Amino acid sequence: MKHFEGTPRLLRELRSLRVLVFHPDDHDGQELISQLHRIGCQVKAYWPPLEQLPEETKLIFFAIRPEILTMDLPWLGREDTPPVVPVVTYENPVLVEAVLNLNAFGVIASPVKSSGMLTAIVVALSQSEKFRERERYISRLEQRLAGQRKIAKAKVILMKSKNLSEEAAYNLIRSRAMAKRLTTEEIADALIKADDILGG
Amino acid sequence: MKKRPNDSIRIGVLFSETGVTSVIEKSERLGTLLAVDEINETGGINGHALELVSYDPQSSPAKYALLAQKLLLEDHVQVILGCYMSSQRKAVIPVVERWNGLLMYPTLYEGFEFSRNVICTGAAPNQNSVQLADFMLRTYGSRVFMVGSDYIYPYESNRIMSDLVFERGGEKVAEIYLPLDASKDNYEVVVQKIKQTSPDFIFSTIVGDGTALLHRAFANAGLDPRKMPIASLSTCEAEIQQMGAELAEGHITSAPYFQSVDTEANRRCLENFRKRFGDASVTNMCWEAAYFQTHLLANAMRRVGSDNVADLLTVLPGSEFSAPQGDIKIDEHNHHTYLRPRIGRANAAGQFDILCESESWVHPDPYLVSHTLQDWSAPLTTLVPTARP
Repeated sequence: MKHFEGTPRLLRELRSLRVLVFHPDDHDGQELISQLHRIGCQVKAYWPPLEQLPEETKLIFFAIRPEILTMDLPWLGREDTPPVVPVVTYENPVLVEAVLNLNAFGVIASPVKSSGMLTAIVVALSQSEKFRERERYISRLEQRLAGQRKIAKAKVILMKSKNLSEEAAYNLIRSRAMAKRLTTEEIADALIKADDILGG
Repeated sequence: MKKRPNDSIRIGVLFSETGVTSVIEKSERLGTLLAVDEINETGGINGHALELVSYDPQSSPAKYALLAQKLLLEDHVQVILGCYMSSQRKAVIPVVERWNGLLMYPTLYEGFEFSRNVICTGAAPNQNSVQLADFMLRTYGSRVFMVGSDYIYPYESNRIMSDLVFERGGEKVAEIYLPLDASKDNYEVVVQKIKQTSPDFIFSTIVGDGTALLHRAFANAGLDPRKMPIASLSTCEAEIQQMGAELAEGHITSAPYFQSVDTEANRRCLENFRKRFGDASVTNMCWEAAYFQTHLLANAMRRVGSDNVADLLTVLPGSEFSAPQGDIKIDEHNHHTYLRPRIGRANAAGQFDILCESESWVHPDPYLVSHTLQDWSAPLTTLVPTARP
């Protein structure tokens, strides 16, 4: 374990965390809300689930009930959807599939107990943050890869049309990019388009 | 079940008579006994005497769990008073939850727990750690040497202390953990390190017999508590009695109760205690919590007319009592207790001179992660210096 040098941010921010609880007002729901209050989170509770999330929602506890199978949840699966922690009562395949469809970042079991909830919250927040960072990283890599493909294609065009070496073709793209204050990808893109129009 | 007129009501008691934390646990047992005597002398629970069923868990968590189960299933008690270390409490909680018993726990601990079946009457970190950090950082400086026993309480207490020290731009000189059964030599090595690094103060979360060993090594090394004291949340009159007043003098403890607290309730209580257990009897924060929690329980039993846990839980949360430390109250929502933080400095008589105390009770907040000195400026400014005796 690493040496302690201050409490992690996610733990320090629990008191300002906005948590949404979609749970019927029963024993589990009350237990869940009481414990969230003890932890000190900002809690709003609704049942049935809302179609639109309140602003700044950072985490959602979600009761897995048969009636949710037919519900429309437009906020689900978006880039900015907050992490969801299902509260699981039934474990039959239909409802476990519903948990998977929520893209859960943790689970708590019914009957709800006060112990374990703090850890579930912090793990869900941390995992969803890491997941989002990874998604952003992947999309940056994809863009870069697409750019590299364009540059490769543009180089071939220049090598053929101007009878240049690969290095000279690349240097030409780069010097044009610098002169026009554009990226090499953008110059490559323009070259490919021009070739497409002129060369066919 | 209806009680017949002469039936007594049995409650379970689990405080160790032997083992590494037995000194302080014996004292918790005495606090419980005094309260039970007082309750029975004034008519018991609506005419029924309280009867204690006690076992010795020998400071071992596994024995705590076994004996808790025995108390609930074989002795048919509903309520258990007991536990000192967190490891002991953690072992008992699943048992009381499973069989729907009630544990009343009179010891300071690290927080982050709530069970319907547990009432905590010792201090949470927002009732002792923050006040201690504030006092030490203001009075002695911000280079702190941390030494603790190797179990959960010291780790969590040091996390809180570290945050507060870093907030002041201070420095953690060292953070060392020793086994609960560490030897005299182990403590001498630690004290040598203290001597070499010369911190502004030592934050000790050593519990049990190690407390005396640390203080002895400190004194033998010629270190001066006036310049570099040991600050603690758990070193109380019981440990001082064990080690001798001269080893403790000058060191600092944060607690809601010291024997020297000057209240009417404390004077009356001490008088009763000495009558029963002798003039040399010494009290402390854990003794006091064990004492007042027994009275809280008895009052709750009188109100609901039984020892049924579900019934007791309808009245115990929210109930108040004039304890030796001042008025206290169990929080309705988190089952911890409103207490009155104080800072004491051990004196030559083995007692504490109280240097500051809170003007009002402080709400227990066991799930507070981020203690900051600034957040707590309200309760801290109400810590007022008291007149020196």
